[in-house]
Formats: sequence, structure tokens, C-alpha cells
Amino acid sequence: MNERTRRTVRSIVLALSLFAAGSYGATGTATGDAKRGKAVAAACQACHGANGEGIRASGFPRLAGQTAVYLDKQLADYAAGSRTNAVMMPFAKSLNDQQRADVAAYYASMKPPGSADAAANDPKLLARGRLLSGTGDEAKHLQACGNCHGPDASGVAWSAPYLAGQSSKYLADALGAWKSGARKNDEGMLMATVAMYLDDADIAAVSAYFSALEPPH
Amino acid sequence: MTQTLKHADVVVIGVGMTGSIIAKELAVAGYRVVGLERGQPHFTVPDFQSPSVHDELRFDVRKALMQDNARETVTFRNESSQTALPIRRWESFLPGTGLGGSQVHWNGQTYRFHETDFALASHVRERYGAKFLDPDLTIQDWGVSYADLEPHYDRFEYLMGTAGKAGNIKGTIQPGGDPFESPRAREYPTRPMKEHFQGAMFRKAAIDLGYHPFPQPSSNMSEPYTNPEGLKLNPCVFCGFCERFACEHFAKAVPQTFILPVLMKNPNFELRTGCQVQRINLDSTRKKATGVTYIDAAGREFEQPASLVITTAFALNNVRLLLLSGIGEPYDPKTGKGALGRNYAYQTMSTVGSFFDEDVYVNPFMASGASGTLINDFAADNFDHSNLGFIGGAFIGAVNTNGRPILYHPVPPGTPAWGKGWKEAVVKHYNHTVMFSLHGSSMAQRQNYLDLDPTYKDAWGQPLLRMTFDFPKNDLRMADYVTAKGVEIGNAMGAKQVVGTPRKGPYTITQYQTTHNTGGTIMGTSPETSMLNRYLQSWDVPNVFVVGASVFPQNPSWNPTDTIGALTYWMIDAVKNRYMKNPGALV
Amino acid sequence: MDQSRREFVKTVGVLVPVGLAPSAVTAAEPAQPAARTQAAPAPSAVERPLYVFFNAAEADFIEAAVERLIPADETGPGALQAGVTNYLDKQLGGAWGAGERLYRSGPWQPGAPTQGYQLPFTPAELFHVAIRAINTSFEKQGTTFSALSVEQQDAYLKSLESGSDDLDGVPAKEFFSMLLKMTVEGYFADPVYGGNKDMAAWKMIGFPGAYADYYTAIDRHGIKFEREPMSLASDARGHIHVNPNIPASI
Repeated sequence: MNERTRRTVRSIVLALSLFAAGSYGATGTATGDAKRGKAVAAACQACHGANGEGIRASGFPRLAGQTAVYLDKQLADYAAGSRTNAVMMPFAKSLNDQQRADVAAYYASMKPPGSADAAANDPKLLARGRLLSGTGDEAKHLQACGNCHGPDASGVAWSAPYLAGQSSKYLADALGAWKSGARKNDEGMLMATVAMYLDDADIAAVSAYFSALEPPH
Repeated sequence: MTQTLKHADVVVIGVGMTGSIIAKELAVAGYRVVGLERGQPHFTVPDFQSPSVHDELRFDVRKALMQDNARETVTFRNESSQTALPIRRWESFLPGTGLGGSQVHWNGQTYRFHETDFALASHVRERYGAKFLDPDLTIQDWGVSYADLEPHYDRFEYLMGTAGKAGNIKGTIQPGGDPFESPRAREYPTRPMKEHFQGAMFRKAAIDLGYHPFPQPSSNMSEPYTNPEGLKLNPCVFCGFCERFACEHFAKAVPQTFILPVLMKNPNFELRTGCQVQRINLDSTRKKATGVTYIDAAGREFEQPASLVITTAFALNNVRLLLLSGIGEPYDPKTGKGALGRNYAYQTMSTVGSFFDEDVYVNPFMASGASGTLINDFAADNFDHSNLGFIGGAFIGAVNTNGRPILYHPVPPGTPAWGKGWKEAVVKHYNHTVMFSLHGSSMAQRQNYLDLDPTYKDAWGQPLLRMTFDFPKNDLRMADYVTAKGVEIGNAMGAKQVVGTPRKGPYTITQYQTTHNTGGTIMGTSPETSMLNRYLQSWDVPNVFVVGASVFPQNPSWNPTDTIGALTYWMIDAVKNRYMKNPGALV
Repeated sequence: MDQSRREFVKTVGVLVPVGLAPSAVTAAEPAQPAARTQAAPAPSAVERPLYVFFNAAEADFIEAAVERLIPADETGPGALQAGVTNYLDKQLGGAWGAGERLYRSGPWQPGAPTQGYQLPFTPAELFHVAIRAINTSFEKQGTTFSALSVEQQDAYLKSLESGSDDLDGVPAKEFFSMLLKMTVEGYFADPVYGGNKDMAAWKMIGFPGAYADYYTAIDRHGIKFEREPMSLASDARGHIHVNPNIPASI
């Protein structure tokens, strides 16, 4: 390819990717540094723990080992107001793009083991959760959570966060928010169209099941 | 020992897309409908769930959802002078099986035909003169017009939730859509799909050349959708496992997502799976069907009496069933007489490969079955053929649906077929290549036809269908022409190397070229030259209707599904509103 | 890969001209330095799988052959390392090899090329018959395929690919074509089938595998997508549970 056409193609690529990046916000355009992120994370530890393990009973989510792309997007959404939480929004707004990417990279790099969750006791609930996680329910129009969230919801980068080992309260709260429309920062309404079909019993079942699993570590 | 069952008002042979819609309409209208499906039942949960469904070897290479050649196949030859031999493994076309039919694993590409397509013979004569056509071509008018079908296209697209951008609403051209399309009453039910990188590159180059790119209409959902049956479909996530695979997300419009839950609840409908229909039975006059004979999965033979028989078993199977049942006169290519089996056609497929430097990341694996960008500037009769020496055309588009590596690893010509050089080329080009599809029309010619094979049989002991087909020279000239146009677009994209591969004869069954088999039980205006009247009713046996691509007199430039859906609604209206009230010939 | 083999591969240095003419893909002659008669290296670095289909002599041929079809080099693993022979063994020894989904009734005629495969052999029979004929012909010359130099092996494979040899009823072209096709399958298929070990082939080209939700990523036109590939048989810890017995019919 001669230089002129090479420049043409580069300009096409650049124009298209910038356009796409623009529609997605600034998320993911900065490369995060986990070392720098550690300093930023000092402010997060009170709720999310010294090792990013969260506070399960309070529903403050475990962040350790979550994909950087996901964490960065959630912070960007809190900052922009497309995800709402009275506590998280000021924290997110206080970060610039680089800091956001750095703290996301920091948490992504942590892999402490998980801990037990009190909710994970009822065998019927666990069995139902396991079914929905890996198989789904035709009558209820529910596909397997694993289609997007990975085997045993261990997470798939760019697709969906891990749910395994997450606080059951956090999961139940999140599903309730997807269902009510209080949370709507999933592009394409992918989670909203799942939560629409989950009743309270199923929300309890998947929350219990996932919280009983080992988180990725 | 054949067991005779209780009489049903209607038997539907094949419970796929067409059979499901017909069964539902008639069941709701109060008729007792028996649906006979030779395959097995399967549903989104548990059968279509990933990750197991994202298995390229199983579904793409080994073709797990397709008909089993070991039990039934088709024999093939290019010309009558040859002996037809069995297609021992599918490659060129892939007949499906199972509840929901082949639509379970289609790509979702949803195009209407052009108004000139429905009266192609008249149109060509008028525009280019009677002498313009090659003498062997046997193209015909359909007997039905685009205007007749428009409300039914609309109804079918809204049933499925098709995503797209209208190009012509009631005669007003709409920016962003296909300006060549025939007028539609309203917008598509959902917005267009997201465009992938290949589509964006194509669009810019096409605009630069003065063409009219538009988003590929998709029946994989672009957004959550609730259809008129009250059924909900979810958004497609561009997983790149579309054609040949079932969808785990409830995102592909297939009978399981857009109609079966409603049909299965209707007490007037009875589904029987694992049932291979052997023939449609006729009374002694041979002008009335009395029902069908089928063999179930356990090998037991049954006779199902019925007042009305509708065969929706896929184009090739429709033709075979009528041949095995002795309905109509089999076509003789030497004399040109007989309508059953005549005007078999296919699709004329070409490709253009555009190879880029390794810093251009195409990411072909991010795609749905229908998220491309294309132009119709060289499709149908959208361009002046006066000095070109052929009729027909192709859509040209960056419509690649996947990056599944066993079967997709494009390399430039001259690359060795194996060894280090092959491997290096695969790595160099896999993620840096854009493939265009040029999806061309297929004209009927007198030498191409379907009949029963004299030698080879299926597992039930019945003769296989025999296919005699080669590309008309007209279509190969068309392929050369459109491929050159495609190469220009590839060059305008700034690719380092652009390679056009126009379709060449002879037709081979060893390379995939769509499952758009058409003709054999064609519709038309006269019983001498067609099997069915404009309502898809048999001229010979008025209580037999045939629906599917077997009714097309020739095959236009686009995929058949949307038109089959429109014809289904068109036909079922005639059956419900006229035939059932007064059974007999509608024309 | 052990050092001696790495050195060997570097020095052979196959150069293949990539033509610009839009002709059909043809196998080009590799540009070889003269008089290289070094023996092909034994696949000692790769653990031999438990074969249920191939006997020792067949395995000997297959291992050497597939490694020529997709050799190990700096771009990625060769077919051996990727477990392709394991894949072949399990496919040929299973339902596919036995003729799953194959129309097997006669009468049989060779037919025209446009009419496709017309032999009575199941894949298992075809491989057994062809390899036995190949091994016998080498035995008659007092050697084996695996004992040849890589240049000689390549030349022999090319003679199968384009010649008109008959291997006890199996046209050599047909055997070669099936061998190549299945080698590519074993290389790029999901590792559940026993090949594409550790998804190395997918990593080589950048194919992300069986978990595939690209709803947000598809907008990032031109992005270098660096997600780790995932197998359909991966568990939550990333361990792949191999199961080559998945049928080709539902």
C-alpha cells in the first residue's frame, strides 16, 4: 500500500475509533497503573476493605480481581451520574481519567481468597441458583447467567463482571436495582432484560448461590 | 400394520418457521391442526445455551443441527448426461431438521425482494426486449405482486422484530436506508444493528464511490422487543456464532422465540416429533388428498386423515414429497412438459477479500449474523443491463458474520496450503482482513430441475431427490461483473491487497454457497408452467398447499426468508378467509 | 520446544513467495538450501497421548506428518505440541471415524469432482488403509516416513497432495485432503476435543473462544482486543475439561 492509501486507512481507523470511543465516554482510553492506583485506593478501603474484599454483610461489594474495564466504567458512570449512589458518586467525581484507570488496575490486580457468606445455607436456594447460573429457565425466559458472566460466574472481561464470591446482599440489591430501573448503566439494557424475568425467589437463589462460590483468585 | 388415526382438519408437514405460523393461525381460527415434524423438539433453555453451543467443530464443521445424511440425502449431477451420485456429506447447502426448522440456526438476514422480481419475465421483456435473454432461461412471473405482499412482509417483520432502516416509505426515499427498495408502509420495528468495523470501512468507501450503503436488515434483535404475539426477545450481543448455531440469548428471531410458546399452548394444535412423512395420500380421483402417511421414531406407520394438507417441509423436501405422492406431472427437461421439479435455482455467490496491514484490527469474531453494511446498487434490475449481456445482480456487502478459526482464516492467493508459509500467512491475515459477500441472483434454466433418483434410497426405502443443476452462463457473467465492482470498493477502503473471487462453473457441492434452494413447485399463472396458483394452492389437488422457497420461479438477489414469511401470511389469509369457508380451487 | 529442534527449524528457513495474482491458492515450492539431509527431530518434547485408534506404526507416521503440515516455529506451536494427533486419534476412534452423518449406501462410482466424496470408506477405514499402504511402501525401502529429513517429508507429502497414487484403494489426494482438513480442525477447534492445547492456536491469532459477548466491544472499531481466550470446557479456575466424545448429532 502506498503512503497515500496508508494515510487514508489510518484516518479511517482513527476517525472511527475516536467516534466510537466518544460514544462510550472516556472509559478505557487511559492505561491504568496498579502502583499509582494503590495510593488512590486509600480512600476506598473503609468500605471496600484493605484487600478489596468488601464488607459482605453491609453489601459493599468485593472489588478484588474484578476486570479493570468493568471497574473503570462503573467509576466513570458514577462520575457522570448514569449510575447513582449517594456514597459512590462524590468519590468517583473526585477522580480524573488517569486516576480512575489506575485504581481500576489496582483492584484488578488483587486476588485474595474469598470468605463464607451467611446467606449460602439453604440447599434448595443453592440448587435453584445453580440451575439459573448454568442452564436457565425456559418457562421464565431466563438464559443461563454463565452465557455472559462466564463459568460459575467467574467473569468475562469486556462482557460481564464476576459474581462468584460476591456479597449476597450486594447481588440482591443490584438485581433489585436492575429490575426496578434504578440502575440502568448497562448498554443495550442487557441486564434489565434479564432482571425483568427474575422474581424475588430467583433473586435470592442466584445471590445465595454466587455468594457461596470462590471468587476468582 | 398401518394404524389410522382420528381425523384432523389440517396436517402441516414440517414444523419450522412456515409450519409454526400456519399452525398457529389455523389453530386460533378454531381448526384442529396436527403438526408433523421429523426432527426432535428443542428449546432455548436448555438446548441452545452456551458455552456448549459455541462449538465450531460440532455445529459449524460437523453440522450437528442439520439433517443426517446417513438417513436421507439428495443425489446430484451437473447435467442430465451424468449419473447423479449421493451427497454423502453436506457442504454446499445444509438442510436443517428439528422443531423450529432451519430458522433455529439461520443468520437473521431479512430482505424483501424488489417489485420487478415478482414479474421478472415481463419486466425484462419490456425493458430490454424479448431477445435479451439467453434462450435456455425459463424465468417466469410469480402471479403475485410486491404490492400484494407488502402488508404481509410488514406483518412478518413485526412478528420477528426485524432491525433496520427503511429506505422508501410510501414512495418517499429515507436517508440512511436503501434508496432502491420497493416502498414499504412504515419503518422497521426496531432500530438498525450496531455497525461493526468492517461495515464502517465499507460504508465510507461505498459513499466515496457514489453508492448507497445501508445497514443489513437483521432479525437478531438490536434492542429488547415484544412482538404482536406478546413474546419478548432480548438484544443480540454479537457473539459471532450465528448461522449453524442456535441462540442462547433469546435474541434471534426463531419459532422458539417468536411464536412457538403461543402455538404450543393452543389446545387445537398437536405437535408430533420424530415423524417422517412418507407421502400425501390421494383418493381414487387423484384430485383430493385424504391425509398423509408417516413413520414415527419407533418405526411405526400411521395414516393421519385430514381435510387440508399443507407442506412446509423446506423447499427440497416439498418437491420430493409431491413427487413421492404423485401430485402433478414431473418435469421432463427434454420436452419442457410437466411442472413438478421445474425451475430449480440456487444462489450465485462470489467474494472479495481485502487484506490490510497488521495494525488494522478487524476483529471479525465480533458480529451477529446480520450486522453488516451493504449496497443494492448492483442488485436485481437496479442498474441498466442494456450493454452488459446478462440479467440479475447481487448485493455487495461487508456482511461477514464470524471469525471462527477452523473455517475462517483468510490468506491471499499464492499462500501455500500448509506448512510454515501457511501458518505465517494465517497469523498475518486472520485479524486484518475484510471479506465481502456478493450475493447474486440465480435464474431458472430448462436444464436445471429436480426429480426422483432411480438408484439411491433413504433409510425408509424411498427414492432420494435428484438434483440436476449447473450455473446458467448468464449468472456467471453477472458474477464477473459484480465482483469487479466489489474489488473497486475494496481498493477504495485502502486495503493493501484486494482479491476478487467471482463464482465460476461448474457448480460443485463441495463448497458452501447458502442453503437458498428454490423452485421445483413454482407458483404462477398457468397450470402448464407452474405447480401452484397465486395462493400457493396446488393446481392438481386443491386441498394441498405448498409453502417455502420451492414456490419461487427463480431466485432474486437476496436471501429468501422474508419473502417466504410474507407468502406465508398472504397464503394463510386466503386459506382462512376464503378456502376454509368454501373448499375448492381459489383460482 | 527443545533447543536442537528450534535451531533446526531456524536453519531450514522456508521462504514462500506470496503471489498477487488472484488465482486459486496453490502450494508453492519452498525455497530450500541444497543438500540438507538432517533427520527430522523426534517429538521428544511432546508427551505422546494415549492412542485408542492409532497403532504405534500409524502414530509414528501421523506425528511426523502433522508436524510438517503445521510446524512449530516462532509464531506459535506446531500441530504436535497443540495436541493435533490426540484430536485425530479420538475423532477417528469415535463416532465420526465410524461414519457418523455419512451416507454410506452404494453403488459407488468415482463421480466428477463436483460430486464430492464418493468412496465407501469411513474416515477410520480410510486412515487405516491409507497409512498402512504408506508405511508398507516405506518398509519396502527399509525406512519410515519419520526417519526422512524434513525436506524429504515435505516432498513426500506434496506427492500425496498432488499425485495420482493409489493407497490400496484410497486415492492419495483424498487421504491428504482429509488429513490436512482434520489437522486444521484439531489445531483450531475448542480444546475440549483434545487439540489446540491450552488454546495456544487461538492465542496465536487472537480468537477469544467460546465466551463471546461483544455488545460493548464491537463499538471500539479497530481496537486491539486483548482478552484471554476461553474454552467451552473451562471451569471457573480456567482448567479445561477435555471430552472428545461430543457427538455431531443432537
